[in-house]
Amino acid sequence: MTTLSIRDLKLTKLNGAPLLGPLSFDIAPGEVMTLMGVSGVGKSTVLNWLIGASQPMFMVEGEAWLGNLRVDVLPTEQRRIGILFQDDLLFPHFNVGDNLAYALPADTKGSKARQRAIKEVLTSAGLSDFYDRDPATLSGGQRARVSLLRALIAEPQALLMDEPFSKLDSTLRQQFRSFVYERIDERKIPTLLVTHDAEDIPHGGNVLELHEGGGVAKIKGTEGASLTC
Amino acid sequence: MLKRTLPSLPACLAMLGIALTLAPLIPGLLWVLAPALNVDTWQALVQDNQFASALLSTLGSAVGSTLLALVCASLVTVMLYPGRGWLLVQRQLPVFLAFPHIAFAIGIAFLIAPSGWLARGLANLLEWSSPPQWISIRDPYAISLTLTMAIKETWFLLWIMATLLGEQAISRQITLANSLGYSRAQVWVSALFPQLLPRMGWPLVAVLAYSLSVVDMAVILGPSTPPTLAVLSWQWLTDPNEMTQAKGAAAALCLMLLLGLLILAGRGIWWGIKTLYKNPSGVRQRGLAFKSRRLFGLSVFVPGWLSLAILLLWSVAGGWFFPRLFPASLSLKSFSNADFEPMFTALWLGAATVMIALPLTLAWLEWGSRKHHGWLYAPLILPSLPIAAAQYHVLLAINLDSTAVGVIWSHLTWTFPYMLLVLVGPYYSFDTRYLCTAQALGHSRFSACLSIKWPMLIRPILAAMAVGFAVSVAQYLPTLFSGGGRFATVTTEAVALSAGGNRRVLAVQSLLQTALPLCAFMLAIGLTAWYARNRQGLK
Repeated sequence: MTTLSIRDLKLTKLNGAPLLGPLSFDIAPGEVMTLMGVSGVGKSTVLNWLIGASQPMFMVEGEAWLGNLRVDVLPTEQRRIGILFQDDLLFPHFNVGDNLAYALPADTKGSKARQRAIKEVLTSAGLSDFYDRDPATLSGGQRARVSLLRALIAEPQALLMDEPFSKLDSTLRQQFRSFVYERIDERKIPTLLVTHDAEDIPHGGNVLELHEGGGVAKIKGTEGASLTC
Repeated sequence: MLKRTLPSLPACLAMLGIALTLAPLIPGLLWVLAPALNVDTWQALVQDNQFASALLSTLGSAVGSTLLALVCASLVTVMLYPGRGWLLVQRQLPVFLAFPHIAFAIGIAFLIAPSGWLARGLANLLEWSSPPQWISIRDPYAISLTLTMAIKETWFLLWIMATLLGEQAISRQITLANSLGYSRAQVWVSALFPQLLPRMGWPLVAVLAYSLSVVDMAVILGPSTPPTLAVLSWQWLTDPNEMTQAKGAAAALCLMLLLGLLILAGRGIWWGIKTLYKNPSGVRQRGLAFKSRRLFGLSVFVPGWLSLAILLLWSVAGGWFFPRLFPASLSLKSFSNADFEPMFTALWLGAATVMIALPLTLAWLEWGSRKHHGWLYAPLILPSLPIAAAQYHVLLAINLDSTAVGVIWSHLTWTFPYMLLVLVGPYYSFDTRYLCTAQALGHSRFSACLSIKWPMLIRPILAAMAVGFAVSVAQYLPTLFSGGGRFATVTTEAVALSAGGNRRVLAVQSLLQTALPLCAFMLAIGLTAWYARNRQGLK
């Protein structure tokens, strides 16, 4: 895995008022960088920009690099950046297996091989026998897990998470958090997490706190992610 | 600044729908309406001794039927949603949505005519021996036309409500507001209608435009001397005399102006209501305990069932003399002697139209402009008569008049925007994060639409197709104009027969006209249910 680098990111409102930045930071492989700040400070806009979703309300400047590849100029489907939202957003017209199959890269060929790969992933997450299930019949925790598995099985080079734990109850949240962080660490995926909840910050993780009015960013945590404001 | 790479092919396809269906109408309309841009013509129109009362009956029937329909649909929804009664409404709705205006109007005429069911019932009670002298259809004040259109449009608006209610967690909002101490009726007025009504704006305009410019229904039920303004305009436009034609064009323009004014008035009233009710006072009103809510709500379908029943009875009636309530004998002779050719013509015309309109609709919704799409509905808010005439002249110019291609193209003008109208709400409120997720998983926008977005929208898409088919089947003027009279469909047949006296033949054609869209709606519902059979998330 490579490092996800954000260079000179600057958000401006359409009326010209600066919202954030310029801001540069790196997320190392396996690192979870947490982005915090009050609503409206531009957290979601950063995620939208990174994933390549349209945002008619803002002007965005800056570059995003995955190693030596500049990704912010690519269409979403070529960026190889995965995303996890607040809601699990499992495709309701697919069964659980098809949801994963939709994400599994095409280089795993043959329907048997693909099924086997998916079943392995499901089993590793304690969800064996869930292949044919209707997603609507799963519990909240199960759906959350399938949703993460779906993002990961696509072999993303980076992962974005938009308050992925906020809709789960506290016990479930604990479990799902460690479920997510274990897998990110295992696969060494650079990850950007947006959250309101300080408990979501992984142990020793770096935090960017965005402030209103031009965006002062500060850094906590142990290891030195290079940061310029 | 982020650059978005648009796939060029779909973007072109998005524009194709407009280029194909709407753009050619502009020169055609200019040609048709040009004679109206003349002071003398307007003077002649205003001084015409039919104009004033035609204008009045048009205004009365259009505004009256639209308001009545909105009030009825709202009342039914307030009384029945959520609950078992609402399910019953939803179960019956497809039948009556599919029920074509013309067939319904013919059924109503059979009911209320001097020798109709109503008179027969009264005759039995009061021992009349001959039909009464009342003027119940084609009455000078257009009352029967107004009421019939109001009933028909109530069903349409109820269906729009059902689509809007189906996609949001409205019932949770009701529970929440109930828990705050508000009664059912108050929750609707204060919390739900303000959300729903703005989204019903376009359907309401379509209803108003339809009732302003309707010709076929007005011929069957409306006043005759003078007729409504739309019928008058039609008669004048097809007159060989040039001055009369110009008057017809002016009358058509007049209908458009009326519509504009009424929309402005409606918006003004809505704005006024919103400013008046800005700050919630917190007053909790006692709800009325109203026991027969369900019965009352469902009575909205009674005229529909009666109309269907009388059509069915006449289609199988042997001898049936006044004042008997039921035919003396039943026979299938009317069916075995029936001409099925018009039905098959309508079937393939409709199927071809929908198959062309669907990709155009989806392409526009996905890749077309979101901001500037209101004018795509132009065919729905313009009187159909000048458009049909415009189409005829366009087809004439490119030598495609009286051909199947020409007729299908002329149907597209209404099918395409109607399908847009049905789909646009669900389409734009689709959670874009699904598409974002699919693209983040490495799929192109187009492939994500094909395998995620459109399958998830299967219910509104199939509904839009069924509506498109029903719209195509119901086309009267364009089939007549563009087809050069060579394409007899169930619709043109039914209107043509309504002038004659053979109720049995008329009943059979009306039923065939009903059967086509009815089957389309049933198919849409059946296919949706089949597709979602193992997927609760789609239900």
